[in-house]
Amino acid sequence: MRIAIDTGGTFTDCVYYAEGHLQVLKLPSTPSDPGGALRQAVQQVGNATGTNEVRHGTTVGTNALLERKGARVAFVTTAGFEDTLAIGRQARPELYNLLYQAPPPLVPAPLRFGVAERTASDGSILLQPDAAELERLRKAIAAAKPEAIAVSLLFSFANPANELAVADELVKLGLPLSISHQILPEFREYERGSTTAINAYLSPKMQGYLAGLDPGLLVMQSSGGIVEAPIAAREPVRTILSGPAGGVVGALAIAKRAGYDRVLTFDMGGTSTDVALLDTARGLTTTTESLVMNMPVAVPMLNIYTVGAGGGSLADFDRGGAMRVGPESAGADPGPICYGRGTKPTVTDANLLLGRLDASGLLGGGLALDRQRTHLFTEEAKGSLPTVEAFAEGVVQVVNAHMEQALRKISIEQGFDPREFVLLSFGGAGPLHACALARALNIPKVLVPTLPGALSAYGILVSDTVRDYSRTVMSKADDSALPQHFSSLIREAKKDFSGGEIQCSADMRYRGQGYELTVAWGHNAVEQFHLEHERRYGYADRTRIVDVVNIRVRLTRRSELLEQPPRPKEEAGNGAQAMTALRSVYEEGQWRQATVYQRDLLRTGDAFPGPAVIDEYSATTFLPSRCSLSVDPWMNLEIDVNE
Amino acid sequence: MSSPIELAIFKSAFHSIAEEMGAALRRTAFSPNIKERRDYSSAIFDAAGQVIAMGDDMPVHLGSMPMSVRAALNRLTLVPDDVAMLNDPYEGGTHLPDITLVMPVFAGSSSALFFVANRAHHADIGGMYPGSMGLCREIFQEGIRIPPVKLVSNGVMNDDIVRLLLSNVRTSAEREGDLTAQLGACRIGEERVRSLVNKYGRERVSANATALLDHSEQLLRAEIAEWPAGNVTAEDFLDNDGLSEEPIRIAVTLAVDPIARTLRVDFTGSALQIATGLNAVSAITYSALFYVLRCLLPREAAPTAGLMRPVELILPERSIVNAAAPAAVAGGNVETSQRIVDTLLLAFSQLLPDRIPAASSGTMSNLTIGGIDARSGQPFAYYETIAGGMGARPDADGIDGIHTHMTNSLNTPVEALEYAYPFRVRRYSYRRGSGGAGRQRGGDGLVREIELLCPAQVTLLSDRRIRPPYGLAGGLPGACGRNLLNGEAVPGKCNLQVEAGATIRIETPGGGGWGHEQ
Repeated sequence: MRIAIDTGGTFTDCVYYAEGHLQVLKLPSTPSDPGGALRQAVQQVGNATGTNEVRHGTTVGTNALLERKGARVAFVTTAGFEDTLAIGRQARPELYNLLYQAPPPLVPAPLRFGVAERTASDGSILLQPDAAELERLRKAIAAAKPEAIAVSLLFSFANPANELAVADELVKLGLPLSISHQILPEFREYERGSTTAINAYLSPKMQGYLAGLDPGLLVMQSSGGIVEAPIAAREPVRTILSGPAGGVVGALAIAKRAGYDRVLTFDMGGTSTDVALLDTARGLTTTTESLVMNMPVAVPMLNIYTVGAGGGSLADFDRGGAMRVGPESAGADPGPICYGRGTKPTVTDANLLLGRLDASGLLGGGLALDRQRTHLFTEEAKGSLPTVEAFAEGVVQVVNAHMEQALRKISIEQGFDPREFVLLSFGGAGPLHACALARALNIPKVLVPTLPGALSAYGILVSDTVRDYSRTVMSKADDSALPQHFSSLIREAKKDFSGGEIQCSADMRYRGQGYELTVAWGHNAVEQFHLEHERRYGYADRTRIVDVVNIRVRLTRRSELLEQPPRPKEEAGNGAQAMTALRSVYEEGQWRQATVYQRDLLRTGDAFPGPAVIDEYSATTFLPSRCSLSVDPWMNLEIDVNE
Repeated sequence: MSSPIELAIFKSAFHSIAEEMGAALRRTAFSPNIKERRDYSSAIFDAAGQVIAMGDDMPVHLGSMPMSVRAALNRLTLVPDDVAMLNDPYEGGTHLPDITLVMPVFAGSSSALFFVANRAHHADIGGMYPGSMGLCREIFQEGIRIPPVKLVSNGVMNDDIVRLLLSNVRTSAEREGDLTAQLGACRIGEERVRSLVNKYGRERVSANATALLDHSEQLLRAEIAEWPAGNVTAEDFLDNDGLSEEPIRIAVTLAVDPIARTLRVDFTGSALQIATGLNAVSAITYSALFYVLRCLLPREAAPTAGLMRPVELILPERSIVNAAAPAAVAGGNVETSQRIVDTLLLAFSQLLPDRIPAASSGTMSNLTIGGIDARSGQPFAYYETIAGGMGARPDADGIDGIHTHMTNSLNTPVEALEYAYPFRVRRYSYRRGSGGAGRQRGGDGLVREIELLCPAQVTLLSDRRIRPPYGLAGGLPGACGRNLLNGEAVPGKCNLQVEAGATIRIETPGGGGWGHEQ
């Protein structure tokens, strides 16, 4: 028996199987004692079921980073390069903003230490740190009273001897130590240093948190795989996107069960929207180029792309007369007009005015929406547009255009054709917009999963145990030493993590390029690289030398499958038992009569055409005209987007 | 024809195409200048060659890209699947290392409906110095000059032209790779614009392109309407031309008419064109002005050609801001462009004192190193620009060690550099205390120190080594930059033949301070 617990800002979701059915328990989170809700959930479920495996998605790391409430970190690097972490890539994120404010670096100057040492790119040691130098360093760090230490020396991945010597000295201080060649033995000193520093920044908090919980706990990583708690405590930088990763894994699992191999996920929340592309044949694809709060985090993370627009995004006009939706958001305070305090229209207000959201309220009626108030304020904000409805429909169209660009970025721009994917939509606002988006991208089907509110916990429940290892080798792809590099990396990995399937891959590029493509390693890896380059960028050049920059090994222990048997297909129905009202909805410039359904009264086999609105506790689905919906055996809403 | 809603939708669609072209170029390019430093731009143009969307790339290319398209159209008749190539600063280019490709989008129409173009800074384009960024006396010494020619004709690569080009540059395999990357990016752009036309129809896409131009115009006019009326003047100087000690003057007069909502920008009084390659062609000056205006607009403003409609630009003939052939121009793009921005901002600080920062480092501190890599026996050409301190702002300190104004190129990671070149980097750090004092402090510059592991030719092209970045409102200037070879000072602009084991150290200027120090 296993359970998965995903701790979010407001709710802690707990899912498990009992009697052949997925059970969901929702508890309020306990931010002052983040482990409280988890212990309570384990107790409540465990007493009833005899739980022996607890899996956990946590925001402890995420929040410490976002709120800048991590440890006081000492950062140690090669003398002369102490400022690397602050200089970054010497570029500004906003090209035309003369008043741009840079966030303070994670480690301020007095806590950045240099050590006289040097390793060359071929791994030869040019200067070894002597005992006196190491002692000086240790005393200087001790005097600065840090809570954690990060060590990242130049070319430590090519030869870790100097870094190990520094670590041996600093271990005497008895502080959590993050060593760059252990966290991320890859080249590019800023990216490696940043990843190592973030790890140190999070480690005291994460270690303290996990120490208070069962040591047998499994923790979700940003890569989409789970890992034992002691490893998560040692490498918290791998858990920063624990929750969103769970959502993506859950989405893929649900889509696969419903018969889809290729999925675009669309998770639209209040202030931002996450999209991801998943292809069963490729497994969970990760990226090592993530930025979190503008800082590189170069460990593998699921490739989730975020746009700064959501239900709370504000809509207005710029001085040139163009409509503008986002990136400013009404946030929780004052919130949209319809919540009673805001005065500027948001996407949520637009959906209410168009009849797509029920005025009687969100969250099962727990939050009533004020339609009259919304109309009043929107009337003032509608600018040159003839009616409030025209304005509201425009707001939805413009925000959809932003979402469409995001989906294009992860599909068409990467060489994928969205028409071959299903659009799986979740998050409170996602299913309101999904059908229009699918139309814009010629995606034929939309899937609104059951349990959209606990998808992340479900993903954690079904995910595999995964460990990733990598090393920079910088050699030609036909270098005869490469197989040895792989076997030595595998040997090292197996010391750390027993059992499991082994997947080898390599980051490859044409000699002289600056970016790599990750390709499965095998006898035809070079040809695979050419093909991938052609797919992504439209051409390949088989006369050029191909280099392998990094090698990667992923160990996966498959989780036991927890499939509930498909429910038998029930009688075809029309959903009449779930109809609750008729309501006017505005689309394509006119008011139309739509049927409103209550989702939990729908039955497998029910089918009906749009326009319709399907309400459930935490989300609303809008089914436009010419779309048709059917309820699949797992209670997902499957929508045909006919044009 | 267009509505506020359509405008927003098409702005987003065009912009993301330009961004995608840039991403494809960056990820497949070979020159460190393109892949690591992002010294490239991508843009989309309407049938008349007016820019309607640009990626968020390199400000120095902003205003100059349209001239490339116009030059290509003047010289060539482009048919479907043609791609034009050019780099001639006197015919649509900026300086020779910047190669621009232009591709028409017909989408089944009998004439081109749109054009896509990209420009990239290649690591070498031939000429006297490896890296092609040294100071020359005339453009013929700076490298190979390419007027608009068809690189691709009806979908077929013109191999003769490619061979001619590759025979004239030092690192030809890299050049070929970069051209292929640029072509790939153009084709992606062409395909995306074509599918946009197929989706929405020719009339609707063209109408919205026109509306985007009008929209930018409206944004700038609304901005000018809030400025005070009147004339202001400002001047600033480049240290020298690299031969003499004579400072080089850049002068500007702004005339604002908030009622008519127009702006006149007159560079009369600027120095005549000079003997070395710090001359800026008019495209550069146009870009610098475009950049400054764009900074004064809200962040969502699209940089289309419409932005410049309310502006009258007056450039004296054969001057430092409007050079004529055959003046050398390699440094106009990287150094003079920064000084033109400094001068424009100094003028604007009199109109809008609360919005304008003190001078930033005002130089890109260009460092070029070339030679034969003893490890491989192959020639190499390394080029990098080194950031400096940002000028203090009325409400905040300047940022330390960051690229400002006309460039935003990344540094090359030390670990990438040492794999690729026979160098050992000795230091890369802030240059503490170099920012100008003031109520708000100017940002500190950087120190980059490189040991050469084999004999090499080193070219320095840097400014603000004699005349520091100005402070504003009582703030003090930032510290001047310094260049050192084996610990000895060398000039801001020079070419050095150095031995293995030599160390070159660049200390970049700090930004100016803002306000009296309390």
